[in-house]
Amino acid sequence: MGAVAQAIRPKGKIYGRAYMIFVTVGNHYQSFDRLIKKVDDIASRLPHEIVIQRGYSGYRPQHTKHFDFVPISTAVEYIKTSDLVISHAGIGTIILCKEYGIPLIIFPRRKKYGEHGTDHQMEIAQALEERKDVNIYMIYEEDQLEEKIVEVLKDKKKPLPTENVGKKTLIRIIREFIDKTGNDHAFSSQDLGFKKLGIGE
Amino acid sequence: MKRNRKIGLICSPGGHFTEILQLLEAFEGHPSFLITYKEKATWDRENTYYMRNLARSPIALIVGVLKILLIFLKERPDILFSTGSEIAIPSFYFGKFLFRTKLIYLECSAQVYQPSMTGRCVYPITDLFLVQWEPLLKRYGPKAKYMGGLI
Repeated sequence: MGAVAQAIRPKGKIYGRAYMIFVTVGNHYQSFDRLIKKVDDIASRLPHEIVIQRGYSGYRPQHTKHFDFVPISTAVEYIKTSDLVISHAGIGTIILCKEYGIPLIIFPRRKKYGEHGTDHQMEIAQALEERKDVNIYMIYEEDQLEEKIVEVLKDKKKPLPTENVGKKTLIRIIREFIDKTGNDHAFSSQDLGFKKLGIGE
Repeated sequence: MKRNRKIGLICSPGGHFTEILQLLEAFEGHPSFLITYKEKATWDRENTYYMRNLARSPIALIVGVLKILLIFLKERPDILFSTGSEIAIPSFYFGKFLFRTKLIYLECSAQVYQPSMTGRCVYPITDLFLVQWEPLLKRYGPKAKYMGGLI
């Protein structure tokens, strides 16, 4: 466990049954205050330790720890050591939660509220919902959040990191392509590119 | 005989960046460098070039595009790999036409049904074009391949 995450974890069970929840709204330049306000509101009632990465959202939470950004390596530490992650339908967060077997509640950003340029996050959420992944939960209205948090943490099981078959296949395909390129090229790009034109020497 | 190929990794921060980190194993054994935007969430990593977000202003675009050219002149990549976003467009066109690099593009898993603008721009010149959701195949030409996704 990283030092950062250890430091923010509640020491002992001072809040009773306290879980660690990490909230992130990604690197997108538009704000996602709808989620952050709701989490802040819920945080005043729940005993859990909640940390929010606000990103470019303007709202400042009153009841939780928060910051705008930490480097991705630190964010990974937060995710790994959380009992639950809540986020927009961001690919980075989904990948990391799957990799470390952390339950994830997804609340997609919407175009109509000025939270993203398109509604593609709805498509991601719906595609994931159809696939019925374990440990990934979708909500589409902020009012569903509190109930969902309680539900997910109640039957929280030991996280099960699953083998990522898609990742393995993609790595294999890319490797094969690189090896093939290495073999059927008689020249290196240095011979064919700028050098030939006498530029960039 | 297998030869070392210089690999250029190109992506913007966020999910695109996380996707590249997931796939680093594919490039092991080859020298590589990475070009991304300098933003607070970016990881400090060796062999990495940072620039301002190209989409932020016309000046950032011009400076950034020139910077990509200079980086390529220095690094001389043989293969470029990108997961998007728009930073891949100037990189791939420079790579293809000035450096004769081979191009691999992985459409970000955020694109389920709709192709991305970047994907559409680089599709015609890309050598290995991968998408991460099957429904997306019919929106691209026969060159696109679906081999599973990262999420």
